[in-house]
Amino acid sequence: MSLYLYLIPLLPFAGFLINGFLGSRLPKALVSTVALGFPLAALAVVVRAALLAWPGSSSVALPYVENFGGSWINAGALHIDFTFALDQLTLIMLLVITGVGFLIHLYSVGYMAHEESYWRYFAYLNLFLFFMTVLVLAENYLLMFVGWEGVGLASYLLIGFYLDKKSAADAGRKAFVVNRIGDFGFLLGMFLLLSQFGSLSFAKIGDALALNPAQHGGMLTAIALCLVVGAAGKSAQIPLYIWLPDAMEGPTPVSALIHAATMVTAGVYMISRTHGIFDRSPFALAVVAIIGAATAFFAATVGLVQTDIKRVLAYSTISQLGYMFLGCGVAAYSAAVFHLMTHAFFKALLFLAAGSVIHGLGGEQDLRKMGGLRKKLPVTFWTMTAGVFAIAGFFPFAGFFSKDAILYEAFQHGTFGKSLYFVGLVTALLTSFYMFRLWYLAFFGESRADSHDFESHGAAVHSRSDSKLVLEAEEPHHVHESPWIMLAPLVILAALSVAGGWIGIERFGSFLAPVVGPVVDPTLEPGGKMLDVTLSVIAVAVAILGWFVADLFYRRKNDRPAKLAAALPGAYNLLVKKYAIDELYNATIVRPILLGSRYILGGLGEGAIIRGSAWLLAGVTTLLGEWLRRWQSGNLRSYSAWLAAGAAVLLLFAASYYLGSNGMDIHINWAGR
Amino acid sequence: MNVPLTTVPDILRILPEVVLTLTGVLVMLIDAAMKPATGSSNSRRSLGWVAAFGVTLALWASLFQLSLPPGTGFYNTVQTDAFSVFFHVLICGIVLVALLLSIDALPQNQHHRGEYFALMVFGAVGMCLLTSAVELLVVFIALEISSISTYILAGFRKHTGKGPEAAIKYFLLGSFATGFLLYGVAMIFGATGTTQINEIASLVPTAQSHSLVLIAFVLLMVGVLFKVSAAPFHVWTPDVYEGAPSPVVALMSTAPKAAAFALLIRLLYGSFPILKPMWLPLLWGVAVLSMTVGNLAALRQENVKRMLAYSSIAHAGYLLAAFAGLGTSGVAAASFYIAAYAAMNVGIFAVVTVVSGYDEKLPLIGDFRGLIYRAPFLGSVMLFFLISLIGIPFTGGFFAKFYSFTTAMQGGAAWLALIGLLNSGLAAAYYLKLVVSVAQPAAAGAPQAEPPKVGVAVGAALAFSAVATLVLGIAPSQVLGAARSAAQTFAPALIAQPASGTVTGKIGTSFRYQEK
Amino acid sequence: MDNIILTQILVTPLVGALLVALLPDRRKLSAGVALTFALLTFFFTLHLPAHFNPSVSGFQFVQDIPWISTPAIHYHVGVDGLSLWLVVLTGLLAPVGVLASWKTIQTRSKVFYSLFLVQQTAMLGVFVSLDLMLYYGFWELSLVPMAILIAMYARTSGGNEGPRAALRFFLYTFIPSAPLLVAILWLYAKTGTFDFQLLQGAIYYGRFSPETLCWVSVAFLIAFAVKVPVLGLHGWLPDVFSEAPVAMAMVVAGKLGLYSLIRFHVGLFPVQAHQAAPWLVALASIGVLYGACLALVQKDFWKLLAYGTISSLSFCTLGIYGFTVTGLDGGVFQTINEGVIGAAMFVLLGVLYDRFGTSQISSYGGLAKKAPSLATLFVLISLAFMGLPLLNGFVGEFLVLSSTFGGVSKGWAAAATVGVILSAAYLLTLIQKVFYGPASDMTLANPNPDLNGREKTILWPLALVMLAMGILPNLWLTGIESQSKSVIGWSNLKPFVVPDCIHQKCYITVSSQPSGGQK
Repeated sequence: MSLYLYLIPLLPFAGFLINGFLGSRLPKALVSTVALGFPLAALAVVVRAALLAWPGSSSVALPYVENFGGSWINAGALHIDFTFALDQLTLIMLLVITGVGFLIHLYSVGYMAHEESYWRYFAYLNLFLFFMTVLVLAENYLLMFVGWEGVGLASYLLIGFYLDKKSAADAGRKAFVVNRIGDFGFLLGMFLLLSQFGSLSFAKIGDALALNPAQHGGMLTAIALCLVVGAAGKSAQIPLYIWLPDAMEGPTPVSALIHAATMVTAGVYMISRTHGIFDRSPFALAVVAIIGAATAFFAATVGLVQTDIKRVLAYSTISQLGYMFLGCGVAAYSAAVFHLMTHAFFKALLFLAAGSVIHGLGGEQDLRKMGGLRKKLPVTFWTMTAGVFAIAGFFPFAGFFSKDAILYEAFQHGTFGKSLYFVGLVTALLTSFYMFRLWYLAFFGESRADSHDFESHGAAVHSRSDSKLVLEAEEPHHVHESPWIMLAPLVILAALSVAGGWIGIERFGSFLAPVVGPVVDPTLEPGGKMLDVTLSVIAVAVAILGWFVADLFYRRKNDRPAKLAAALPGAYNLLVKKYAIDELYNATIVRPILLGSRYILGGLGEGAIIRGSAWLLAGVTTLLGEWLRRWQSGNLRSYSAWLAAGAAVLLLFAASYYLGSNGMDIHINWAGR
Repeated sequence: MNVPLTTVPDILRILPEVVLTLTGVLVMLIDAAMKPATGSSNSRRSLGWVAAFGVTLALWASLFQLSLPPGTGFYNTVQTDAFSVFFHVLICGIVLVALLLSIDALPQNQHHRGEYFALMVFGAVGMCLLTSAVELLVVFIALEISSISTYILAGFRKHTGKGPEAAIKYFLLGSFATGFLLYGVAMIFGATGTTQINEIASLVPTAQSHSLVLIAFVLLMVGVLFKVSAAPFHVWTPDVYEGAPSPVVALMSTAPKAAAFALLIRLLYGSFPILKPMWLPLLWGVAVLSMTVGNLAALRQENVKRMLAYSSIAHAGYLLAAFAGLGTSGVAAASFYIAAYAAMNVGIFAVVTVVSGYDEKLPLIGDFRGLIYRAPFLGSVMLFFLISLIGIPFTGGFFAKFYSFTTAMQGGAAWLALIGLLNSGLAAAYYLKLVVSVAQPAAAGAPQAEPPKVGVAVGAALAFSAVATLVLGIAPSQVLGAARSAAQTFAPALIAQPASGTVTGKIGTSFRYQEK
Repeated sequence: MDNIILTQILVTPLVGALLVALLPDRRKLSAGVALTFALLTFFFTLHLPAHFNPSVSGFQFVQDIPWISTPAIHYHVGVDGLSLWLVVLTGLLAPVGVLASWKTIQTRSKVFYSLFLVQQTAMLGVFVSLDLMLYYGFWELSLVPMAILIAMYARTSGGNEGPRAALRFFLYTFIPSAPLLVAILWLYAKTGTFDFQLLQGAIYYGRFSPETLCWVSVAFLIAFAVKVPVLGLHGWLPDVFSEAPVAMAMVVAGKLGLYSLIRFHVGLFPVQAHQAAPWLVALASIGVLYGACLALVQKDFWKLLAYGTISSLSFCTLGIYGFTVTGLDGGVFQTINEGVIGAAMFVLLGVLYDRFGTSQISSYGGLAKKAPSLATLFVLISLAFMGLPLLNGFVGEFLVLSSTFGGVSKGWAAAATVGVILSAAYLLTLIQKVFYGPASDMTLANPNPDLNGREKTILWPLALVMLAMGILPNLWLTGIESQSKSVIGWSNLKPFVVPDCIHQKCYITVSSQPSGGQK
């Protein structure tokens, strides 16, 4: 029986078309109805599919493949079909995307209420859902690439949503271009796959791999590494993470949906999807693991000192994605996906809560200007608390289970794994610290904001249209709790962040097993259950430690942070400057390319060679012409001289000919006359 | 070769010439009968129409000659055949266009307009006779008739400095060149004992002294190549073209050249086919030199007429390339080229006449700027002629060039074709300067010259030459056929030579007849 | 119908041109007549794909009439999978061109539109001619209206930039076509025919020694490479792009040269083409990067488009000289893309230029708020240009790159793939500087810069074509592949030599060459 998979992307796409083309003329209410209705319908289709395909009910066997529209590209040796496939992994992704996605749509209705081009926002948001669902439903790499680039486009449009904000436009372009660098890797990977397997279909490649189990490393490593470049670009891993912090220029719900819950996890999804290749290439896996661990730690350190609430969350997102990569790197795909899911819950929650705070403060994003909001924004506070505990990895919050699973798997992975495990542990400590730091700065102590700031900021940041700028600058902004339509998603996500992990890695893993292979069963491992528990206890202890330090530093106003910063100025400045990576890239890559193009290509290539050669040719001929023109003296004597000279030359020629044919005594030779 | 005796009365052999002469005389008589021209009160336009009518008659007359069996008259001095008719028609056509042009172009108060028209007609007589004469003395007379009238016409703008200068230069140099020719005639007579073009061919092998033959040949060549203004005998062209009135240039840059080429062909293929191994490289050299010198020198010209003068030198070069062809194909190609060149060159000079005026207020390329805005019709026609001169397909200019170089290529002179086509690429540069200037909008604030007005006669002339150029480019088959049958005239002369024996001994291959 | 349809297509614009020339010189009138005939032409071209039979390779809708007996020139026309869609594309761009010039051409519109229509005939003729002489005729003819119109309607009117651009364009393309003509004449002198298929057969049957053919093929190659233009021979392009009227500039680059390369270089001289291929592949992938890098640093958006075009055209060259079916499909497909996208880009930039009278990117800014639909279309079309999936650019680039990577050279393919990053960089920079950020004074000065109805009617269809070609490329690819298969097959055959047939006249008698081309 059919699952109507094609409806899942097409419904949001319909929403995009309607809002995109008519939105400007429709009333707000209708726009929101469309914007919410179609994703909800898509969610319904997904849920139906989930129910039909659930292990219990055997009405649909997974993987379930659905082809429509036949072939997409059919040229020479290349055949690409429009084929969607549903398996356990895709199902989980779909549930997360449409579920969380819908909640964030709901939230946005409240959050974006002030925006004039409200319709445009929702059109983009639906477009994103379309591409994201295509990405996870695709049955071949090229179709996946469609979604892959598409979500990049949606993210570009949404980051640059505030048209007249230059920083936003820059951030959008940066995000797209950096993602393109990743896509470059993805493309090369696909080319290699084509030349290796002659197909891009997951199933076909899987079969081909199954046929010769001996195949290892070599070409597969090359393919895997190319794909890793793509994944690193999309999932903001070292060295391509630089676009994500800037992406916070977009509206906060966008950060929640695209830059935390769904799009950025595409890399993790891709690696788990193609684990068949990675499993054959230990080197590639090691690379993934190292990238993951490094990113996790690196981003966490930067997160320690950020003062913009959204940037803290951005770096924490990068760091958490690092965990997922670490999980993939140690072949614990189910653990990685598990963390992907829980992270989607609590990170979306955190962002939305942050958004609610920003909304409440009328656009204030600077932690130093917050404080004491616990009373003013109770719901936001409690939901955010759930999120903070979840990400910090406290039992029994969702984050605990997934992070624990990853760290456990890493620990099992030999000495190499153990070292990675310790990196992960330290990261956990840092995570817990900076999250509680944020928690304290935002909600505890007394307000550090002067109302003047609110107005200007509120006017400037929150609602960008010039007309409103005037309007809002007039009446002072009052701190207020957000409307229910924003709080409802918070509550639901909070519940998920608490309970999302209770399913446990064993059950989750066994569900995913058909796709990503069996989860390593702790009972069979040396140390077994015992070790598992110990590690968990250590993890929780570390989290508590982090909380304790944060408490020491930030619960109430004191000079400890300042002291610390003064104690190690070098380290502190390095962190504040985010290791000056952007500057480094600019100096080493961007500027050289631009200067080279302008001066070497533009000046030497175009100017000297291309233009110069043409100019030279023309110049020489005109000079010759000038020279010839000089002969034309207009003087009669010289003319007659020319005439005589010409005659002489002709005679000479004749004579030479005459001699050349050494005399031509035709008379003799015309015998017969 | 022996001309079959026919019962054709001799007078019919020179019918067009007779008609033309009568017309000329008539024009002069009427002119004398009319009151002297005082201002515009009593213009001589009507005379122009009379002359034009006479030339049209002559055209019909020469077409009528096709119905005659080919043969000679007046004691083997003139010969009418497809070849002569082809050139008669061509020359009459050119003169007709030139007359129509002059009717409107000449200022009303111009003195001696009567003589002007008469001289054009008399010039036509000489040129026509030149193409049908097969007796070198007649050739000389014909040459003189045409030359003298053109000398006078060249200097017709007496009031200007350049006019008389042009006339004098043309006259002196022309006489100089004719002197060469005459000397050549004398020597060929000394060498072979005849001056009958067709007989020379058969007598050259048995000539007394072959060095004498060679010298005679060279001297004849000098005389003819001067007339076709091929390098290095081209030096007179720019000055004369610049000085002479534009309508006259329209005539003298085409009709006398056509006649001279006809003579050249008659000499080369009629009298000296046996020397082909020698004159072929000679002509190739002249061809390459003419193209290159003409095009290079034209690059830097600012005066339109001078530029076109150089371009005509280059065109003489393209034409000579055709002689590389096998058998009579070269003759056909050359004849066709002359026709096409005449059509477009008369046309372009007609436009120049109208735009820069009889006394040339606007002679420079820059003065043509924005012409297509000032006078759309004139501008478009001019662009068309220029495109044809550049050699863009679907115009006579292209097809002529294409046919000429195809012939050369089949004659095995690929490099000649390459040089020629590269030259036409070079030529595009200066033609295009004019194209661009015509198409370019006039500079802001520049004084707008008043749009030149196109009279009936000039309009007819333009239309005539434009249509001719187009037809020669799109449906050339008719003219090609005519050119081929004209060329066939020389087939016997070519075949005759080897039949009478093969070259042996010390000359070796150099004189073995090349055609197969 | 089928055998005269091509003649119909060729004649219709000419009739239009004649009519425009004869009717009085009023802007609306001339433009209206031109539009009518352009649409008519387009309608006729649509007949071809409707009745094209992709299952047979070789030429269809053939018409072969002797034109001139000696030299033996035939009016021999026909289309196959390669030319089919290019003809349709040309037909589509004709009305687009007229509409794009509707307002901008104010003076002497009569001259403009008649020459414009002549240009259409010339281009269509290039695609359908099967007689080398006829082909050469149309090829040269296509230069003239271009040069004249650039001189007449140069953007910097009054200045000398326009004329210089016209001169440069004409000479750049005319002078290399002299050796081309010599080569054609040489072939004729040797075989006595200008017929494409007969010549193909003659060459296949080893009528010529390879070294002589080498020179002939080089003459062909250079003449075409200039028109594409291939990197190094592109000196004329930037000037033409910044000076030519939109309707002309949108058709000047790309398809003519690329088609000629496939048909007459690869098609006639497979062996020599194979020898030249490594160089061309290298040039192409360098060209991708070269153009893109230069586009990154342009301050003038016409120049930016020029270098971007050089970059994207190099993909076509890359595909053609990879000698794989996929690559050739991609090359032809990309050629069509370039035609559509380039035209759309020209219209868009033309709109900006009409509104604000400058092409300096820096003086724009913040236009998106005031001109939403302009911004939307600009972004959409730029995305097609930079090859975003589901738009046509992606299909072409992917086919070319993947086939090159698999079939020819991993290194060059990878290098060319970097172009994907750069194209995104320069196009997004353009978009950002023009549409995002705070509105510049110039932008504020214009009350209503958004697209009007006419411009929308030009752009939306083009955008839809891009989408269609991106989502359902097979509609196009099947037709293309029907011929590209046989071209590649043909080009990989080693010509065998009939010993007594070399170096002497023996007129070939093959009526159809081994690749199964039918007459």
